Amino acid sequence: MKQLSLLAASLMFSAGVLAGAADNVSVQDPYVRLAPPNAPATGAFMVIKNNGDKDVKVVKADNPVSKVTELHTHINDGGVMKMRPVPSIDIKAKGEAVLKPGSLHVMMIDIKTPMKEGDVVPITLSFDDGSTKQVDAKVVRPMAAPMPAAMEHKH
Amino acid sequence: MVERILIFVAGLLAAAIVGVALFWQPEMPERPLPKAVIAAGGDFTLQSASGPVALQNYRGKLVLVYFGYTFCPDICPTSLAATAEGLKQLTPEELARVAMIFVSVDPKRDTPARLAEYVDFFHPAIVGVTGTPENIAEIAKRYGVFYAEQKVETAGGGYVVDHSADTFIVAPDGQLVGKMAHATPPDQVVVAIRKYLNQP
Repeated sequence: MKQLSLLAASLMFSAGVLAGAADNVSVQDPYVRLAPPNAPATGAFMVIKNNGDKDVKVVKADNPVSKVTELHTHINDGGVMKMRPVPSIDIKAKGEAVLKPGSLHVMMIDIKTPMKEGDVVPITLSFDDGSTKQVDAKVVRPMAAPMPAAMEHKH
Repeated sequence: MVERILIFVAGLLAAAIVGVALFWQPEMPERPLPKAVIAAGGDFTLQSASGPVALQNYRGKLVLVYFGYTFCPDICPTSLAATAEGLKQLTPEELARVAMIFVSVDPKRDTPARLAEYVDFFHPAIVGVTGTPENIAEIAKRYGVFYAEQKVETAGGGYVVDHSADTFIVAPDGQLVGKMAHATPPDQVVVAIRKYLNQP
């Protein structure tokens, strides 16, 4: 018992030194947007916080529901919104990456089985140091997410 | 004589005041788009699951027009969800005077039945329409909408369609009067709808 607590203490002590990216990352409010019927794809959104003092990169995401999982972003090209894959999502030390509709997101392509509201999709994020983190994202009906500078001001 | 001139001047002044009162409209803080920027818009007829849909049949209603497609992975759901939330915030009386048309920019894959199922998911007031590629191209041009297929290996069906993601606002008289940017939040959607709905 004593040895165990000693072990735990030493583990904690070394955590800051030896921790992989995944250990320093916390994920908030993960959700999957319920796709319209027949839709071949949908997105997963979350806030990924990097609590460590080293920059980390999410290089891959996986989930069992869709055949393909990609990291995506949006480019607004003169009112034409373009969705494009990105090689990684970078999160600065003590920073965060906000994955939200109209911005960065995890794209779930070719959904194998239709999802319904309330389902939980386990999403595995892989980091550039090889560590991984599983996030359980609930399926929710699309609600509008506010976007910065959404209104066009023409003067 | 002097009196006459004075009366004449007073009359002129009165006319000027009446004229200003009638014709001078102080600039609104949020101006409608300048006429040069706004596309022509105009009527069109396309096919929905329940038959032809003609914009001219919606006179008296405010019509929102969005160009998208059902295989759209993220852009259309984001926009449609925000707009639908806005529609849900209207009173039943207001909603009765508003319509929304979802025009497919992917006529190759979007059948009227597919479109119906898709738009119903967001809001019952939205009708999904498609037509021949030439027909769609001509309408898109009039509305200033750009769209283009992009080959993406992983996309369902092998391609995505980049498209303008604005929601167009057609006034009850059929004139294209404005547009809302992609993913305009619901409360702003309500403001925009009410602004054009309540114009004399």
